[in-house]
Amino acid sequence: MARARGTDGSLLGSLPWTLAACVFSVAPHVQFLPVWISTAFLFCGAWRYLIERRRRPLPSTWLRILLALACFLGVLSTYSTISGVGPGSALLTIMAALKLLETRARRDQFVLLFIAIFLVMSSLLREQYLWSLPYLLAAVFLIMTAWLRVSAVATQPTRRSFATGGRLVLYAAPLAIAMWILFPRIATPFWAVPMDTGTATSGLSDSMSPGDISSLSLSNAVAFRATFEDNIPEQRDRYWRGLVLTIFNGRTWTSNDPFAGPRVHEQVAPIGDPVAYQITLEPTRQQWVFALDMPWSWTLPRTFMGPQQQLARARPIDQRISYDAMSYLNYRTDVDLTDYARSWYARVPEQSNTRTQALAREMRASAASDAAYIQAVLSKFHEEEYFYTLGPPPLGSNPVDRFLFDTRRGFCEHYASAFAILMRAAGIPARVVLGYQGGEMNPVGGHMIVRQSDAHAWNEVWLDGIGWYRVDPTAAVAPDRIESGVSGSLLDGAGLAWGLSASAAFLHRLTMTWDAMNAKWNEWVLGYGPENQKRFMEWIGMDDPGWRKMMLTLIAVVAALLVMISGLLALRYRSPKTDRAAILYKRFVNKAGIELRTGETPVVFARRAASESPFPAELIDEITSTYLNARYGPADPIAMRRLESAVAAVHRQ
Amino acid sequence: MSSIPWPFPKSGIALSLKSAAGRRVRRWARKRQGVDPSITRLRPGRVYILPTGVGLVYALMTFAMLLGSMNYNNNLSFVLTFILAGLGFVSMHQCQRNLVGLELSFAGVEPVFAGQPAKFRVAITNHSKNARHSIGLSTQFSASDVQDLSPGESRIFTLSVATTGRGWISLERFSIRTLFPFELFRSWAWLHMDLRGLVYPHPADHAPPPPPTQTAHGHRQHDARGEEDFAGLRKYHEGDSPRHVAWKAYARTGQLLSKQFAGADTSSQWFDFEAVPTDDTELRLSILTRWIIEADRTSEDYGLRLSGREFPPSHGESHRQRCLEALAVFELAEN
Repeated sequence: MARARGTDGSLLGSLPWTLAACVFSVAPHVQFLPVWISTAFLFCGAWRYLIERRRRPLPSTWLRILLALACFLGVLSTYSTISGVGPGSALLTIMAALKLLETRARRDQFVLLFIAIFLVMSSLLREQYLWSLPYLLAAVFLIMTAWLRVSAVATQPTRRSFATGGRLVLYAAPLAIAMWILFPRIATPFWAVPMDTGTATSGLSDSMSPGDISSLSLSNAVAFRATFEDNIPEQRDRYWRGLVLTIFNGRTWTSNDPFAGPRVHEQVAPIGDPVAYQITLEPTRQQWVFALDMPWSWTLPRTFMGPQQQLARARPIDQRISYDAMSYLNYRTDVDLTDYARSWYARVPEQSNTRTQALAREMRASAASDAAYIQAVLSKFHEEEYFYTLGPPPLGSNPVDRFLFDTRRGFCEHYASAFAILMRAAGIPARVVLGYQGGEMNPVGGHMIVRQSDAHAWNEVWLDGIGWYRVDPTAAVAPDRIESGVSGSLLDGAGLAWGLSASAAFLHRLTMTWDAMNAKWNEWVLGYGPENQKRFMEWIGMDDPGWRKMMLTLIAVVAALLVMISGLLALRYRSPKTDRAAILYKRFVNKAGIELRTGETPVVFARRAASESPFPAELIDEITSTYLNARYGPADPIAMRRLESAVAAVHRQ
Repeated sequence: MSSIPWPFPKSGIALSLKSAAGRRVRRWARKRQGVDPSITRLRPGRVYILPTGVGLVYALMTFAMLLGSMNYNNNLSFVLTFILAGLGFVSMHQCQRNLVGLELSFAGVEPVFAGQPAKFRVAITNHSKNARHSIGLSTQFSASDVQDLSPGESRIFTLSVATTGRGWISLERFSIRTLFPFELFRSWAWLHMDLRGLVYPHPADHAPPPPPTQTAHGHRQHDARGEEDFAGLRKYHEGDSPRHVAWKAYARTGQLLSKQFAGADTSSQWFDFEAVPTDDTELRLSILTRWIIEADRTSEDYGLRLSGREFPPSHGESHRQRCLEALAVFELAEN
């Protein structure tokens, strides 16, 4: 094997652009990548550039193999798998870094640019925001310009590559838009989608352990957005029902696995008028589907109401979905509780939280009825020294006892948990409902934003003759939490509440506008699925749009656009019809009286004309050279003027 | 008569099949297009296009991305996929249009000695108002530089063709090609201008000394001193050195006259084909070639006598050319 030769600097025209394209495509991954991978990538990029700059040889083969092995093992030990977006992008980044070190020929850079494209694609699979579109357009522009640099002649100025890249992307844009709109979307994926974004779910968890985690996330992230058909429910009625927790082990509440219960109208008896709305739910990676308490109908396929009146979809929600739903704010649950179920809903581990259980038995004994007892418990929360706080102290092994008798500080989970135990210990079936309470109207978009910070826990108790009945103990402690949302309910929440100053109002308006743009973006761009596509197709006048029809339209439109683009290019490269120099020369040839033979160059003709025509050789030479200059040389007005005067001189003769 | 040697299939059935198919296609194209005049404007109908290897990988990648986008129902990666697909389509048209309308004209080929590559020069003119990029010419064995053509610009592209023996070398076909813009497609056009170039015999490496000059002095005739032996003026002949033109006389009379120097006629030598001390015709021609080169280098007068043709002693570029051309085509069938 030949010794590695030094690089010759021939890549200096294109390598910086390839590097820039790679860096740009790695950038959105950096926050998810282990630090060593980003560092290795940057290091290899800088190293390779310096090698080219200083005409040094590339690192030797064994060093590269060693590095590749080390990096591959590194990825494997970091992720313990190589499939999925996270490890995939890590591997791609490593591949780019290693490929850089063996990029010798100009065309090796194509591999790097292919990797860059895949990196951009995987960043889109990871997350899609409003800025993702400009990002991907910029990335395509940069990658394709680098691509042009790689394939262009070495002397081509960068400016020209940029112009060409921009022009071609502009040509491709209408094609891309047409394909994007018309390409038939399908509802079901071909293969299971491994969604490992690496970030913990920001939504509700499947269980509740008050006192374990001593502070609640105040994440402003959007949980879902809701658009109401006509009347918007009051703040205190905005209970977005999620999952129902029924099992308590002394510390932690958990739910049953979701399964389909009886049909809705066998479970719920509606009262009054329904509320109709549409929800766009951010991905939760869970099966729970949120709807106003109590959902009556919904348009989400394969979604069922469980026996605890919780909605669940058969498949976890790993993408943003939107669905229409209808709820009755007033209802009665129409289910009977068997004796077994009654005792199951009243089960409390006997050895834990014994003080609470004793208190419950004592209070129930002094109350006239279950309803009176519930009232007594709520009054206790309301009148005694209990505080609503988002940062309560941790609670230890008997969390309910400690909370009720010692710390007396907590948020919705603590009160819901304590209330449920107090009920169960007194023999009243009780359960905890997790969901969201509240929501903020966005005046710009006309929709309601429900954030993660609106997460809430409340109770349902079973009352004979009434069925499951909602009780929210948090409302007894902090009525503001229910009346005006979580930020209004905190004593130290002044910073969270929007002030009334003009700049704050402006900022608020800006936030709302941004949110409304996101909502529209989510609905029409990110959420452009089979449903939206069908609606859009019908809106532009296609009857009964099926995939076959759309595909045919797609082919026709793309073909038409290509014909137009081809025409545009033909126009771009057309030769000027009226070539003034050619016309003048033709005039001279006619005047000379000698026929121009096919294929005869002006120089040859000039030699013939000098002997056969009446004109002096100097004049013929002048015409020939100025004609060649004016026609083939760089644009030169002087050559044209000299040609004009020379031909005029011929005509005078 | 030598022409471009036809390649033998390198190895393997696939290769020979490929080259056979290529031959067929090229023969078809030749039949279809006919012989091109020495100035040819490329019409769209004769510019062919096929995807390159990079293009196939690109298509495969775009298809994989389409499947991925469909699976993840990810509308932004659909955007990315469709932009890349659109760029592919656009680059196909751009690649073809990059050639259409270019004007190719044969710009001559200098005679060479056998063994040296003949350099066919072809001027390509871009008449349009926009630049053409990455244009190159190629034959089956060689390729010219790849160059950009600015609007209205005309550039010379040089094609090297290896030569083996003396005579006429012909370049029946060459192609103009481009990979612009992304090297996803290669578009090309075949040109059949039937270009011909002259190949002089290879100058013999070990030639015997030339026959003695008739004056037998053997010293250099035209050193700086020799020119002082002015002998008179005669009418200017093509090929006379401009240094010998009597410019003063020209200024006076308007007639071109050459100065004659004493001894110039007496020292002339004859190179006779029959007198070369060998029997091999080609070797004789080679030796004659070497003698002519040497004599020309020292500006001596020399005459050439071939069977049936005679070039009286003279000197200068055109004399040299006439003599070498006679040697090149000596006893060759009429082309």
